[in-house]
Amino acid sequence: MKTEFSRFILGLTAAFALPWLLLIVLPYYQLSTIEPELYSEEDEVDAAASYPPAWTGASSDGESVYASSGCIYCHTQMVRPTYAGVDMWRKGWGGNEEDGLARETRPQDYSGDSYAMLGYMRIGQDLANVGTRHTDRAWYHLKLYNARTQVVDSNMPSYKNLYRKRLIDGQVSDNALKLEGRFAVEEGYEVIPTEKAEALVDYLLSRKMDAKIPGQGVEKEVAAASTDK
Amino acid sequence: MSETMQEASVQDVQERSVIDRSVRYPVLFFFTAAAGWLFLATLLGFASSLKLAAPELWDACPWLGYGRLFPAHMDALIYGWGMQAGFGVMIWLMARLCRVEVKNATTLIVAGNVWNVAVLVGVLSVWGGYGTSMPWIYFPAFLWPALFLSYSVISGTLLMMFKRRRGGEAYVSQKYIFGAALWFPWIYATANLILHHTGGSAVMDAGVNAWFMNNLIYFWFIPVGLSSAYYIIPKIVGRPIYSYQLAQVGFWALAVLAGWTGFNRFLGGPFPSWMPAIGGAASILILIPVAAVAVNFLGTMAGRTSLMHYSPSLRFTVFGGIMFNLYGVFIALSSYFDVSRYLQFSYATVGFDILIIYGFFSMVIFGAIYFIVPRITECEWPSGKLIRFHFWYTSYGIITIIVFMIAAGLAQGGAINDWSGDFMDSVRRGNGYVVALAIAWALISMANLAFYYQLLLMFFGWGRKTEGPTLIHKKPGEAMSAEAAAGFAKEETA
Ligand code: HEC
Repeated sequence: MKTEFSRFILGLTAAFALPWLLLIVLPYYQLSTIEPELYSEEDEVDAAASYPPAWTGASSDGESVYASSGCIYCHTQMVRPTYAGVDMWRKGWGGNEEDGLARETRPQDYSGDSYAMLGYMRIGQDLANVGTRHTDRAWYHLKLYNARTQVVDSNMPSYKNLYRKRLIDGQVSDNALKLEGRFAVEEGYEVIPTEKAEALVDYLLSRKMDAKIPGQGVEKEVAAASTDK
Repeated sequence: MSETMQEASVQDVQERSVIDRSVRYPVLFFFTAAAGWLFLATLLGFASSLKLAAPELWDACPWLGYGRLFPAHMDALIYGWGMQAGFGVMIWLMARLCRVEVKNATTLIVAGNVWNVAVLVGVLSVWGGYGTSMPWIYFPAFLWPALFLSYSVISGTLLMMFKRRRGGEAYVSQKYIFGAALWFPWIYATANLILHHTGGSAVMDAGVNAWFMNNLIYFWFIPVGLSSAYYIIPKIVGRPIYSYQLAQVGFWALAVLAGWTGFNRFLGGPFPSWMPAIGGAASILILIPVAAVAVNFLGTMAGRTSLMHYSPSLRFTVFGGIMFNLYGVFIALSSYFDVSRYLQFSYATVGFDILIIYGFFSMVIFGAIYFIVPRITECEWPSGKLIRFHFWYTSYGIITIIVFMIAAGLAQGGAINDWSGDFMDSVRRGNGYVVALAIAWALISMANLAFYYQLLLMFFGWGRKTEGPTLIHKKPGEAMSAEAAAGFAKEETA
């Protein structure tokens, strides 16, 4: 009876501990200690650069706005290789196609984030490379203020709480949103982004996961994607 | 196990009523608090789906955006309702099957209060814009130790009960409860430590998160739900479980396979490719324990399925059992690239999560609650009609959600995969189905209102009073008559 009980507990523990160790603890350690790689001459990238690229700008405030607004329920940030989906064929999802940089995402691409917002559902577009697709801040602000300003039947929620409506003081501010038609505010008022909105746009602009991979020509990379499995 | 077989002696009956009285307050506490959360959770489900269908509704109020309503809804559903109702069932079942009294009822209630306060703070934070967006770990970082501690007290009690148990070999229900009690703190601590307190790989954070979701399903919701089903079904049809060996095989197969799943939520994701692959393989192999459960339940009920017409407990449990099998099949299918390329990240993701948490787990737990509460309150459910209402509105709602979310997933995923088409096609195609989602949650909310109302009546002792000692159904009510007819009344009065 006693030994049977300990054997039972041992069984339960072992069943859990094995995957816990092999799937979580060890890979976590391994992936957390990837060293940046240097580019070689063949890669034709600036000599000082390394992969993953060093992150510039404070996007971590933006990351927390992204998190608390729940963008993750509708937007992924994960470009699948072609064996798992056609993400790469959607224009701009895999990154800058004109320079031949488009590719699926890799673990290093998220090294500037504190949590990789891979996603839950994909009701809106994948945002892994939205920063390469759109570079105009005003465009982002309009989208966030009310997505219907740009896409009539978008079901993306409005994030009006990230914007402030105020009386125009003399001249219209430079950063005021250009709202037209049914979205326009009353005469004499303007809508300007708050700090949170600016931080979120910084974060979105930083979504560029198409850096060249050292030692792999661009064409080779595409080939690698299909034989990876 | 032996319980179902033997005629209960007078001594047994007395013993049971002593045990039932010892667990009465904690179990009732957990059930009633959970039912309140459930009502809130389904209302939030309704509001969040409405927001998908009508995105400009309540536009000015950030609290009512989809990005906050949805996580608040899942939180209330998982931590407020699911786990809490599960605690009640675990405690009652463990006491009943181990034939031991609960000596620390007050401690359990204190732990339960800590749990509720923590969940309340958590849901309000998510709602107020302090959520983490890490699926199912939405609560701000400072809350997890409170939930962890509270759970540890409850699981410690359960483990000790098992250790003190009387009678021979442990029944499979006890094993499932024991497993769930032991595994969860480990899973929860691992996920929270990694996600909140270490600055390691951002990608692994997301992977660990997915692993946590699947582990919560396979190492907690499924074991607790099955422990209840393995008790209720034999009990009500009045015969032992069809095959004990099969139950054992199912138990161990699930235990060995479950921990490997999770990364398959990100097939093709930025991980070493063996990680999602092994998750997919394990999800397919989990069909073995799923089949074991199906065969066992069918074998046990063979020839006596008509009891479902009368017994609410059996009816809810069997519905849950069917949903469990469906879940196993769907998840196995979506582990293939040919399916995942369409369904991964589509509305079907929510459909599957609701299928297991609501369609399976919650339904089985309703069954258990309809069985347990009369025994601990010593009165009968006031209205069989309201129970039927609860059952039908919930089942229509759940079936609607599952059918429509999978259809929406296919429509939406299909449009995304048609890479030459406009992206907005996928949004437009998904939109119609979302209306059905909102209607389904409205139906389910109504059903839960009926459930909550009846449970509150029972809580305050305003149920229908029966004559004689506990557990004897001398004057069986409408809904209970079948249970009486089914033999356990005979067994308990003997
Ligand atoms: C209810 C789901 C939903 C939520 C929540 C959501 N979005 Fe969207 N999003 C969409 C849909 C649908 C589209 C496509 C239609 C459009 O462009 O408006 C979209 C489009 C976008 C685009 C344009 C992408 C492109 O390539 O054109 C950006 C940028 C964006 N969303 C950012 C965000 C951010 C940031 C958040 C969180 C603050 C967010 N979204 C929350 C549904 C959502």
